[in-house]
Amino acid sequence: MILINIISLFLLNYLKKSSGAVEYPAVLNKYFKYGMIAAGILIGLGASDLPPQILYELLSFVLVGAIIYLILYTPELENQKTLAITPLPIVGVKLLEYLIETISPSIYDTLENYLDAASIFALIWAVTMWLNHRKQMKEIEIERIFLKEQERQLKATAQQKSELEMLVAERTSEILKQKEELQEALNHLQSTQEQLIQQEKLASLGQLTAGIAHEIKNPLNFVNNFSELSVDFLEEIGEEVRKMSDSPEKENIIELLQDVKSNLVKIRHHGSRADSIVRSMLMHSRGGTGTMDPTDLNALIREYANLAFHGMRANPNPINVEIQLELAENLPEIRLNAEDFSRVILNLVKNSFDAMRDKINELGDQYKAALKIKTKESKNQIVIEVEDNGPGVPDEIKDKLLMPFFTTKRGTEGTGLGLSITHDIIKSHEGKLDIESKVGEFTRFRITLPKVRVEKS
Amino acid sequence: MKILFVDDERDVEDLFRQKFRKEIKSGEIELAFAFSGKEALNVLGDENPPKFVYVFSDINMPGMSGLELLDEIKTRFPEIQVSMISAYGDSENYDRAMNSGARGFFTKPVDFERLKSEIAEMVKKQ
Repeated sequence: MILINIISLFLLNYLKKSSGAVEYPAVLNKYFKYGMIAAGILIGLGASDLPPQILYELLSFVLVGAIIYLILYTPELENQKTLAITPLPIVGVKLLEYLIETISPSIYDTLENYLDAASIFALIWAVTMWLNHRKQMKEIEIERIFLKEQERQLKATAQQKSELEMLVAERTSEILKQKEELQEALNHLQSTQEQLIQQEKLASLGQLTAGIAHEIKNPLNFVNNFSELSVDFLEEIGEEVRKMSDSPEKENIIELLQDVKSNLVKIRHHGSRADSIVRSMLMHSRGGTGTMDPTDLNALIREYANLAFHGMRANPNPINVEIQLELAENLPEIRLNAEDFSRVILNLVKNSFDAMRDKINELGDQYKAALKIKTKESKNQIVIEVEDNGPGVPDEIKDKLLMPFFTTKRGTEGTGLGLSITHDIIKSHEGKLDIESKVGEFTRFRITLPKVRVEKS
Repeated sequence: MKILFVDDERDVEDLFRQKFRKEIKSGEIELAFAFSGKEALNVLGDENPPKFVYVFSDINMPGMSGLELLDEIKTRFPEIQVSMISAYGDSENYDRAMNSGARGFFTKPVDFERLKSEIAEMVKKQ
């Protein structure tokens, strides 16, 4: 009977150890533990020869039967099913032996040899089945490991895939952003290029005019000097002629001398006009000679706006203008070439006066001329705005406004250099000049200056 | 007082002779003209010692420039006063002329009142 219990022990021990690969529920492990204790007790009782041995033997069969039942009907032990049939023949033979011996010992004696033979066959069966089972188990285990590996790989692939997808999405948005940035940079480049071309045109024109100006200056000086001299001489001649006795010839001579003198005065007048143009042209091409010093911009604006106003009032065709100054308080001092920059203010203000004069001539008293000068401070920049409510600038001439010799003023009034020089001076301060206008309503010149400039050595 | 004007423009002679008509008539000053730096040095070198007191020279001339002429005169005839008359009134020309010993610097178009008073002052000194 010990054999049956040993089989029980062996089965339970094997099942317990096989739980390494597949985790069994705790209750199953408890069954294994109690089963092994029961088998141990039955072995002990069997060896002790204590009665009633028959009961112990019966219990041994019940135990092994229960174990086989457990193996066959527990889902977790599905893989171990072949294990259940391994000890079956032995248990069957032993059960038969036990039953025969219990019921009729005499039949047992006659059948003993057959039963022994059956036992040996059962043992061989058991060993074969056992080996078979082991082999099967190994295959199952290998397959299980293989499956597990495959699953792991699948999982890894899935994770990699999602990571890649995220990366792709990230890169796509990055590329889109870069594309937008590039587009913006391209637009910026294109507008800068246009500006550069414009500036290049102006620069070459500037050089040309400077050269011409210099060549014209010398002959012009002769024209002016000789005409001036001739006027002086004519006055002397007039004095001498007046000393002569009166005669119709004398009257005629004096009359003619008057005409020649007035002609010479005209030559002198137009000569000096040409001279002022030439001088403006030279000033235009020549770099600023003054130095950049910290300047109170508001004070400069106040002074030169006032100067321009009184200059305008003192000259022919004065107009009534309301001037509003909206100057930002506590404006920091800014490095300026004050001499040059005062020309900017003078030019812009004078320009506005001239424009508004045209509108007054057109509309009469119903129009009230107003000039607004503002200064504003932002983080890195200072903005100056000169705004008039004059006739405005049509779009088609807005681009030409800064070109040298472009003028809207009639006849001999403008040289067409004022705004061009203004623009040059602002550029030399690394600033920007923008023009906004609405025809019939306003014109606004906006100067933007950087607060801090990289000083050129 | 003898004054030499140096300029490559020939009409300068007529202009100055007319402008200074009264002074020349009264014998206060005597004008001479040269149309290049080289000619000016010849005129000055003809007399030994030269009777010229004052030289007015243009700067931009073909051949020898007015500034070179200034240096030459200051070396050979240090007692003669030299002033420059130039259309280029930039600080570079001005500084060079003054450093080389020029007495004055006149920009074109010439301010004749200033030129006349400068000459009158020299006449007084004589």
